[in-house]
Amino acid sequence: MRKFVTLLLGIALALSVSAADAATPLRLATTTSTDNSGLLDVLLPQFKKATGISVHVIAVGTGKALRLGANGDVDVLLVHAPPAEMKYMHGGNGVNRRKVMYNDFVIVGPASDPAGIKGGKDAVKAFEAIAKHQATFVSRGDDSGTNKKELILWRDAHIKPQGKWYRAAGQGMGKVLQIAGELHAYTLTDRGTWLAYQDKVPLKILVQGDDRLFNPYHVIAVNPNKYPDVDYTGAMQFIAWLTSVPGQHAIRDYRLHGKQLFHPTAITKH
Amino acid sequence: MDELWHASYRAMVLLFSGNPGLWEIIGISFAVSLKAIVIATPAAFAAAFVLAYTRFRGRGLVMSVMNTALSLPAVVVGLTLYLLLSRSGPLGDLRLLFTQTAMTVGQVILAFPLVFVMSHSAIQAGQRSAWETALTLGASPPRAVLTVLYEVRFGLIAAVIAGFGRIVAEVGSSMMVGGNIAHFTRNIPTAIALETSKGEFAQGIALGFVLLVLAFGLNIVLTVMQRRGGIAS
Amino acid sequence: MNAALRLTDIHKHFGERRILDDVAIALESGQCHVLSGRNGAGKTTLMKILAGLERPDSTQVKLDGVARPWRQLRHTLRRDVVYLHQYAYMFDASVEDNVGYGLRAARLPAGERRARVAEALERVDLTHLAGANARTLSGGERQRVALARAWVLRPRVMLLDEPTANMDRESREQTWFLLRRLRGDQLCVVVATHDTQAIATLPDVHLHLEEGKLRRQPAGAHDPAPSPVSAAHPAATAHDPRREGRM
Repeated sequence: MRKFVTLLLGIALALSVSAADAATPLRLATTTSTDNSGLLDVLLPQFKKATGISVHVIAVGTGKALRLGANGDVDVLLVHAPPAEMKYMHGGNGVNRRKVMYNDFVIVGPASDPAGIKGGKDAVKAFEAIAKHQATFVSRGDDSGTNKKELILWRDAHIKPQGKWYRAAGQGMGKVLQIAGELHAYTLTDRGTWLAYQDKVPLKILVQGDDRLFNPYHVIAVNPNKYPDVDYTGAMQFIAWLTSVPGQHAIRDYRLHGKQLFHPTAITKH
Repeated sequence: MDELWHASYRAMVLLFSGNPGLWEIIGISFAVSLKAIVIATPAAFAAAFVLAYTRFRGRGLVMSVMNTALSLPAVVVGLTLYLLLSRSGPLGDLRLLFTQTAMTVGQVILAFPLVFVMSHSAIQAGQRSAWETALTLGASPPRAVLTVLYEVRFGLIAAVIAGFGRIVAEVGSSMMVGGNIAHFTRNIPTAIALETSKGEFAQGIALGFVLLVLAFGLNIVLTVMQRRGGIAS
Repeated sequence: MNAALRLTDIHKHFGERRILDDVAIALESGQCHVLSGRNGAGKTTLMKILAGLERPDSTQVKLDGVARPWRQLRHTLRRDVVYLHQYAYMFDASVEDNVGYGLRAARLPAGERRARVAEALERVDLTHLAGANARTLSGGERQRVALARAWVLRPRVMLLDEPTANMDRESREQTWFLLRRLRGDQLCVVVATHDTQAIATLPDVHLHLEEGKLRRQPAGAHDPAPSPVSAAHPAATAHDPRREGRM
């Protein structure tokens, strides 16, 4: 009996040692859509090569990412929800906010397009049409950057979305696309997630190119005055690299399903 | 249906080709959960013994609390622990958030009530004369406790297996306090949640398969244990 | 005759009832005592207190005339006295391991332990079942295991609680025979029983518990008429030539 217990403990210890991490890594909170796009899988190894810093990525909804920053649980944020970010900055939670890149949102929906918005370039008009026809629309409903963008569009259309046709899923973008596919519904999605899912769901891009669908990304360091033992230097190195020439080129050169997804904005001349 | 078969096939390939990413996730799962059950078990046994063999005023209350704790959703434990461990929280200075240690703590909290309730049941089902016999034959109280526990060992083993089964499959706590960080705090259930939300069904199925095999194996052992426990008395 | 155990000032009550009311008991080595009393009179309680398994009300029970705190007393009693339940508990192990349990607890080296276990098994005629799991044994066999298990520890006192309650006559006689075999100069045996025949023929001393009082009966009495002499009185336990030669 004793031998068996010792063996078990030995296994446990061995496994635990193997999974431990050496130096203190930098903690980055970002959104699930950013993480799912695969960009970080390309950027972070390059960052590590340049600086020797490992990065731990915690991918959650925008609301939660900002919350983590406000609570001092991470060192740096990479998010894409400017109004929420401004509130965050005003709260004294972040410093050195820098623009990094942008991608865009698209409105997708069933090929049958009951609201007749296909080919349009005006997102607000599209939303008006969807509400008018009471065509099923699936919303993120999770306070994410995408969700916030969606709500701004409804506000600009002077519509309060409610009723059976408006479904708030409370899920990540991938799940929401799957749900929209199942329900033959419309939804707003970032292009990155769309590229990853376009072969998996029976939906099509119907509206794109509107300036209002612009999705800018910013990187923000967590305020070291508020949380003195946050890894501020590490965060600044991350910001420096992201906004440096090699970092910006890496962003520009990233391809998802053969298409460029992100457009660097930190340095104007490449 | 076609997609299911396709994904399952790719899942098997991933598993048996020794795909390191996959096995790393499995390793983290076992590291965290084994540690948690090793910590929770002796404490649960001791508490269960005390409750079965001593009389004190709050006894009924303790039982009620523990039985209620069985219904604690993992995500509630995770949220509470997050609030405690956050840098802005009371235990923030421990810097435990988003580490495997935090995940282990959450799982200890989840496992303890289950192991406690089941082992208490097993100990109570045992005969009190076992305790008295051990003492009268000259065993010291600690030795007598071990003897009593040994006599109901099949029930106790079942309790530990049940506890392990619960925590190795939980996602609510691990996700919250672990953060699902790749190569670090991503275990089987959090990985499944991530992969399926990305539509990566092959990975999700592969991991789910591991979990199912584990659960099935545990259940067989459990059944054998309990049957033997029935005969041995 | 030396005293194996002398305990006085024993009180125990359950709710309203006084189970043991200032009980005093003196046991002698080499003697066989019978403890009689109706069901629920408190024989088991008294025995468990004597074995250190149950706590009496009074905190100053006297051992050999000296008052001691129960904690200390309990330790001494558990060491020198073995209590055998009416239905003996068999550990989930072989007969050998059951019999050797106390020796292992006392950390006796394996060789010596095995020798003493073998000797005990022989005394109770269980050598042929040494390797069997004790839980597969019959009631009578289990009792023999319990007896061997206790005897092998060479205790000062062995307390048997209704050892023959559910037995037929033949099994009962076997049990008494076995007890006679195990008795020795250093061992004192106390048997709680209803068996009138045993009460009549078995013991050197007959104690009767009634209404919380422990009284000594004249030898051979079937009818437990209370005698004025209390068992605590040293004179009453003096060597009685009448009982010589009886078992």
